[in-house]
Amino acid sequence: MSSQRQASSAAQIPHLSPAELSYLYTSLSLPNSPIRPDGRSPTQFRPLSAETNILPGTNGSARIGFADGTQAIVGVKAEVEKTVLVSDTLDVQHEAQGTGNGEGGEGSSSAVTGGHGSWVQMSIEIPGFRDDDALPVFLSEMMRESLVGSVGVKDKSGEENMAGGLKGRLVINKRWHWRLYIDVLLLSQPLSYPLPLLSLTTHLALLSTKLPKLKSKGEEDPFFDDDWAVAEYIYPRVLGVSNTLQVRPPVTLLVISVGENVIFDPTREEIAVADAVLAISVTRDNEAGSLQPLKLLSIRTIDPPSRLTQPGIPNSENVNMLGAPAPNENVAVLNPATGEEEVPGVWRPRRGGVKRSVIAGMVKTVLKKGGVGEEVLAGLEGVEVS
Amino acid sequence: MKSLRRDVSSNPQAANVTSKVFVRSTKSGKVQKIVRELYLRQDIPCSSKLCSLCPSIAPADANGNIAPFVLSDRPAGTKAFPRGHYLVPDTNALLNGMDLFEHTGAFYDVIILQTVLEELRNQSLPLYNRLLSLIKTDEKRFYLFFNEFRLETHVRRGPEESINDRNDRAVRIVASWYSEHLKASSQKSKKEKSIPAIVVITDDKDSLRKAKEENVSALSLSDYVSGLEDSAKLLDMISEAREARDAKGSVRGQMFYPEYYSMSKIQTGLRAANLHQGVYNVSPYNYLEGSVNVPAFDKPLLILGRDNSNRAIAGDIVVIEVLPQDQWKSPSTKIVDEEAVTRNDNPDTEETEAVVTDRERKALQEEVKKAHGKHSEGKPQPTAKVVGVIKRNWRQYVGHVDSGSTGSQVASGRRQQTVFVLPMDKKVPKIRVRTRQAADLLGHRILVTIDAWDRDSRYPSGHFIRSLGELETKGAETEALLLEYDVQYKPFPKSVLDCLPSEGHDWKVPVSKEDKGWNGRRDLRDLLICSIDPPGCQDIDDALHARLLPNGNFEVGVHIADVSHFVKPHNPMDLEASVRGSTVYLVDKRIDMLPHLLGTDLCSLKPYVERYAFSVLWEVTPNAEIVSSDFTKSVIRSREAFSYEQAQLRIDDASQKDELTESMRNLLKFSKILRQKRYDAGALNLASPEVRIEADADEVGDPLADVKTKASLATNSLVEEFMLLANITVASKIFQSFSQTALLRRHATPPPQNFEDLINQLSKKRNMELDVSSSGALASSLDKCVDPKNPFFNTLVRILATRCMTSAEYFCAGAHAESEFRHYGLASPIYTHFTSPIRRYADLLVHRQLASAIGYEGEDGHAGLEGVATRSKLDDICRNINYRHRNAQFAGRASIEYYVGQALKARGEKMAAGGTDQGVDEEGYVMRVFENGAVVFVPRFGIEGVVRLEDFVLPGEAGAWSVTQRRELAPHRTTDFDPEEYTLRVEEKGHPEKERGVFVELFQKVKVNVSSVKEEGRGAGKRRVRVLITGSSDE
Repeated sequence: MSSQRQASSAAQIPHLSPAELSYLYTSLSLPNSPIRPDGRSPTQFRPLSAETNILPGTNGSARIGFADGTQAIVGVKAEVEKTVLVSDTLDVQHEAQGTGNGEGGEGSSSAVTGGHGSWVQMSIEIPGFRDDDALPVFLSEMMRESLVGSVGVKDKSGEENMAGGLKGRLVINKRWHWRLYIDVLLLSQPLSYPLPLLSLTTHLALLSTKLPKLKSKGEEDPFFDDDWAVAEYIYPRVLGVSNTLQVRPPVTLLVISVGENVIFDPTREEIAVADAVLAISVTRDNEAGSLQPLKLLSIRTIDPPSRLTQPGIPNSENVNMLGAPAPNENVAVLNPATGEEEVPGVWRPRRGGVKRSVIAGMVKTVLKKGGVGEEVLAGLEGVEVS
Repeated sequence: MKSLRRDVSSNPQAANVTSKVFVRSTKSGKVQKIVRELYLRQDIPCSSKLCSLCPSIAPADANGNIAPFVLSDRPAGTKAFPRGHYLVPDTNALLNGMDLFEHTGAFYDVIILQTVLEELRNQSLPLYNRLLSLIKTDEKRFYLFFNEFRLETHVRRGPEESINDRNDRAVRIVASWYSEHLKASSQKSKKEKSIPAIVVITDDKDSLRKAKEENVSALSLSDYVSGLEDSAKLLDMISEAREARDAKGSVRGQMFYPEYYSMSKIQTGLRAANLHQGVYNVSPYNYLEGSVNVPAFDKPLLILGRDNSNRAIAGDIVVIEVLPQDQWKSPSTKIVDEEAVTRNDNPDTEETEAVVTDRERKALQEEVKKAHGKHSEGKPQPTAKVVGVIKRNWRQYVGHVDSGSTGSQVASGRRQQTVFVLPMDKKVPKIRVRTRQAADLLGHRILVTIDAWDRDSRYPSGHFIRSLGELETKGAETEALLLEYDVQYKPFPKSVLDCLPSEGHDWKVPVSKEDKGWNGRRDLRDLLICSIDPPGCQDIDDALHARLLPNGNFEVGVHIADVSHFVKPHNPMDLEASVRGSTVYLVDKRIDMLPHLLGTDLCSLKPYVERYAFSVLWEVTPNAEIVSSDFTKSVIRSREAFSYEQAQLRIDDASQKDELTESMRNLLKFSKILRQKRYDAGALNLASPEVRIEADADEVGDPLADVKTKASLATNSLVEEFMLLANITVASKIFQSFSQTALLRRHATPPPQNFEDLINQLSKKRNMELDVSSSGALASSLDKCVDPKNPFFNTLVRILATRCMTSAEYFCAGAHAESEFRHYGLASPIYTHFTSPIRRYADLLVHRQLASAIGYEGEDGHAGLEGVATRSKLDDICRNINYRHRNAQFAGRASIEYYVGQALKARGEKMAAGGTDQGVDEEGYVMRVFENGAVVFVPRFGIEGVVRLEDFVLPGEAGAWSVTQRRELAPHRTTDFDPEEYTLRVEEKGHPEKERGVFVELFQKVKVNVSSVKEEGRGAGKRRVRVLITGSSDE
């Protein structure tokens, strides 16, 4: 039961007293200028160290360490696989697959550009969890979905880059494709919800992933250049406007709302008092060269752990305090975010529910020009991918 | 967001650890990124005897010895490098000039880089092997320097640097490191020694330029060679491929041949079974017709014409594509000889060449006509074209310079010119060779190699390697033969001779039975054993005995020389024997598989002395039913060594009543029963056109008297039967013990379609039937193919039937299902070779397996089965011995053929003293009929002769015998060829009268005139055996 709870909730709940929770919540929910325990601004990330290509045997790899000591390693391996077609009605079948798969190769849904989502396989290992526990399964599906859901772009000349997104990139020809194995390894205990760490590391690893250069043409059996130095990045290095890469793997960010405030890169304690926890996947989606900000791929709500915390008891209900003069401030107020009646200073577990405007605010902060999303992508780009 | 990157460069260990990354595509289609870590070291010596630093740092073996240094302290100098020099060749230099590096006149003190060696291996495995053997020999002083592992000379590939540039840079870095290293060491030793120059040999212009910038002395191969003495000769040995490469950039005339498909297209096609892969064979009668046997079809696919054969040379593994049905043709019914058709080609002019000359086109047109015949033989057959070459099987070819191609320039001395070399092997096209020594090479047997065959060249280009000597001298022709059949004929190296017993000829079976040599051996010295062999046989493999047992049964023993006692696995002698595979018998020479001492003395079961043997003993009933069999290592003493005739005489001599003779009589009796049983089981009695040559001829007599057809005595088959029995018994024993690795021999059942033509011919011409449903049926139907008027006819049919079959092969038991083990010819379910270990390596292996199967532990008690126990290794050995076995047979036959030719020539010369050479009149049999000639078999000499149009002597024709005279006859003749009746009528144009023509048909007995003639009109020519049909001898 406890592992079940652990798995489904955002993280283990830190052992904080209702009073501490209440204090934290109050300071984070201060209108417009929340005060975070570590003094960061709401959109500021903790420092992290990152490097790529740490595993020579993989096609691409990365390591990221957060300041709180959590670390993750991601390795990407690619394998050539035969595309299994059921019958001779090859084209029809494939077409159906390509379009039927929805998010994938629509728009340019010729059989060749469509790939299949199952070609990307992701496994996450988190210490203390079995690989069929809910958390790793949920996390990997969440990240995989945004990966295979991302679509490609057209550059100025109208030529397609990454047509069909990652899935499309994996197609070699009608009969052959690459299969990607993304192995994510969390090296430390999951102190906070590990999603952002794992997502960033995966992003970096994919960015450094190369596939051997194809020498054969068309529908021939694939035949590759044996020189690794000429291998090609899976996400091509096409520089767009303002020297940023045009095509990027998606990134999933964890955002919480406390009161009306939107807070990025939350610590474990901050998550414990969050009203809502969202996992927002974004990717860069440029069309026709104009630097369109970012594209939202998915939003998932994550069960906030705060509902499982012990509630504080207002003096008015405290048997020990019976008869004591009721102070003024003990009057119930309405929480602006949830619309619930609350007694200030007394912790009351969140019952879920968040205003639409708050959600909109969260998405906007991520996507807007010069917003957090861009900042994160730029930061990751700064990691020298060699 | 900030990010940090760990700095690797601060790691002090980082400098000597590096890695090599590449992509590997496996056969199963996997594509892997491979990372190999490299640990760089500083103790790899420069191996120069001049160096005073390296001896102290070079790694030592367990005994504290360092490997001896290779490079001389006094290297040879040239004009450009008077103080001596070491050479550092790059890969291309070796590719283009391997023959130069092997030359004994120059190219000493060469530093071969690991980088170069590996690159060479990727580009050409044969050259790689040759380089390895060069490095192994001491006298040429080649040093393999592991530059990739030495810290100072390791080169990391730069960004966007091509792998070639990187390797070239590695070569230059090694060169500069060597010169600095030697300088440093000479300064340290304070001795005033002259430091040799380090000379890079490269043909890459870019590399030459960079070397100049980096102050490394570098020369192109030809520049370097020009500075040597005898440069004219050496320059010829530079490969032609280089010039072809150089010219690639410039447009050089039209492309004659279509381009090959890309590798990936070929792979896809092969997997999808649109394309097929197989070995390219060329018809011996028509050089424009090839065939490729592919697993997908029962019959080989035809490849007609140069366009379709697309630069494939006999033996290449090619990829072919089937042509559309409207291009299917029937196989040729014409003899087309390259020499005759393309006689007038000029090797120098490329521009006017067309791939298919008009003459060739005409020759092909004739064939298309034939395709419209109704008969099965005339039916068009699927044809194909070559679209790619998987593996070139080019080797060195023996040939001679086509005197016609040298033109009038012969006298012009040392000027370089292009000539054609005609290979001895008719299936190989002529090779264009550039040489400065054309005048000297005329009339010589020479060795050349093919370097390249580009799309824009009609003939392959190659280069001259060496001359074997004048045409028709015994030495040159014998060597040519050995080279042509890839027979190892060099004397045994010292390392092999070191493996011989130190006692030499004095070696004896130990007297004391306590000696370890007696371990596990049975004492069979008191048995009355004798050997029966051809006269003059020195390497006696086998001996026999038979004796009556108290229970009325007989004990029969076959004793085989115990070669495995002397040849231990994995020593140099064993390796050499496994490479040679078999002893090769030529008419006047024997190329041994094992050193003389073993083959003719220590192993040979000579009479009157004790010898180690491996014995197979049976208990048989008086009716030759086998009761039991037993195998043992033994010691025997042969009582007598008979020749077949001697044994026959002794058996037939009723007055001889001694035990030995009685035992031989018993053996003979048993052998007859065994033989009958074998035939009852369906064994074939096959014939091959064999003649024997007894070379001990005196000078005075008729040289042809030495040529004898093989006589068969009852004693021949006596020995043969028991050897077969021993082989079969041993085969089942080793298969029992080693179900996966037993070395066996099989003769696959030939597919019935192989016999189609022969069946057709027999039913048409003789109304006879050939039942090929089983070997037994074939044997009995062959017995019925008799022509009472023509006793040889049966043999002829047997010869033809043998050619329809596949050849027997060695294999290891795991390679085939048990039902496939069958030996078709012998009608035995299992078979191996056990009885001739002195002359066949397979038998030696079988001895080891049998020894292990019976638990023989050897002298020291632990005779392992190493080397015979792994499948893959055995497969390799089988492949080699099959190849060697075949080549040994070919070489033997070719040797006889050559000898017959020489005997005819000698006779001709003798006759010529008294008049003109009239040749020898003999009987011949028509084996094949073509539209413009026939193939005639002459049993007396065991030769097949192609009879061309001009070689038919028409009735009433004046005797004009010389080649030139006869050649002029050809254009005046016409033929009437009926492919369905296999008949050919030759007559003079405008004289259709019956009496003036010659009519030949298949299987006909004809009178022929055999002589050895010089190919006149083309200068110093070859000789060939000419067969003239002088008339039918049926009447």
